[in-house]
Amino acid sequence: MMVVFTLATYIIYIFAKKTYGKIAIPFFHPLLLAPILLIVLISITHVSANQYLQDSKWLSHMLGPATVAFAVPIYKNLPIVKKYIGTIIVSITAGTLVAIFTTLLLSKLIHLKYDFIISILPRSITTPIAIEVSKEIGGLPTLTTVFVIITGVIGGVVGPSVLKWLSIKTPIARGLALGMGAHGVGTNKAMEYGKQEATFSSLAMIFAACITLVWGVLLIPYLLS
Amino acid sequence: MKLGIIIIQVLFLHVFLFLGVVLKQVIPLPIPASMFGLGLLFLALSCHIIKIEWVEQGATWLMAELLLFFIPSAVGIVNYQQIISMQGVEIVVLIAVSTMIVMGMTALTAEKITARKRSSEQH
Repeated sequence: MMVVFTLATYIIYIFAKKTYGKIAIPFFHPLLLAPILLIVLISITHVSANQYLQDSKWLSHMLGPATVAFAVPIYKNLPIVKKYIGTIIVSITAGTLVAIFTTLLLSKLIHLKYDFIISILPRSITTPIAIEVSKEIGGLPTLTTVFVIITGVIGGVVGPSVLKWLSIKTPIARGLALGMGAHGVGTNKAMEYGKQEATFSSLAMIFAACITLVWGVLLIPYLLS
Repeated sequence: MKLGIIIIQVLFLHVFLFLGVVLKQVIPLPIPASMFGLGLLFLALSCHIIKIEWVEQGATWLMAELLLFFIPSAVGIVNYQQIISMQGVEIVVLIAVSTMIVMGMTALTAEKITARKRSSEQH
């Protein structure tokens, strides 16, 4: 069964990507359309969600080597990293703090349950690292994954509008904002703007993950106590 | 041919992931194994222990198809039906509002610093 579900996931993913390429409305985002189609598929074939998750586990596992792979853009863009290191660190530190504080404030406002609040705090960083931060602060990794995905989809959709409203023109600001706000999905979006934006976006993702790891130890436990 | 190269390079990237797992056992810091792996690969590239060509195609493929690897976890959302039906809309609004502020603040900070740098370079 393992191969069947992996293959089904891949085919549906390609289909969703093509559909979104033609009809770029938020509902057709591959991260919405593909899971919805898959949920329909497993309910028609009477396969439990856990069975599906078990069988397609190694697809999720690829997030591990994918994180390792981000060493390549850092290495290739070392001169850019060196030149803009100050801008990157200041902007991403601001971004991570805004992410944590607004999320905490808003989730208290809607009276979210405590274990939900912990699980939602690391939502703006890439899944494999978000899961680690979530575990570290006592959250539920599966739930964190879901919040990370919702963040990605929403970020990919609202990102371009935010950049337009604020008339953000520089590739560095565009790239950093997309990577900071919507991790991998934002980086995907940044590729549509251009190479420079994509580079800054992947750098933002990595720095956001590193800085949030630090907050997971130094800041979040104190905010929650 | 190209597919073969990608598969081999992705497997090679697993070596660094594995080394990251080992390093995590040794260094008791709350850093994920994949992050250690990222650091090790970066060091190996910087010290010219391995060539960029050995990993580039595999890495590019992994990063380009990142969305695919999120899909199974997204399907896992059915396990949280109850909560999603109760507070789902509120949570989505929360995330949307917060994400917009995060992106806006990050973009404005970066743009401000860039503008300041430029004007100081001119003077």
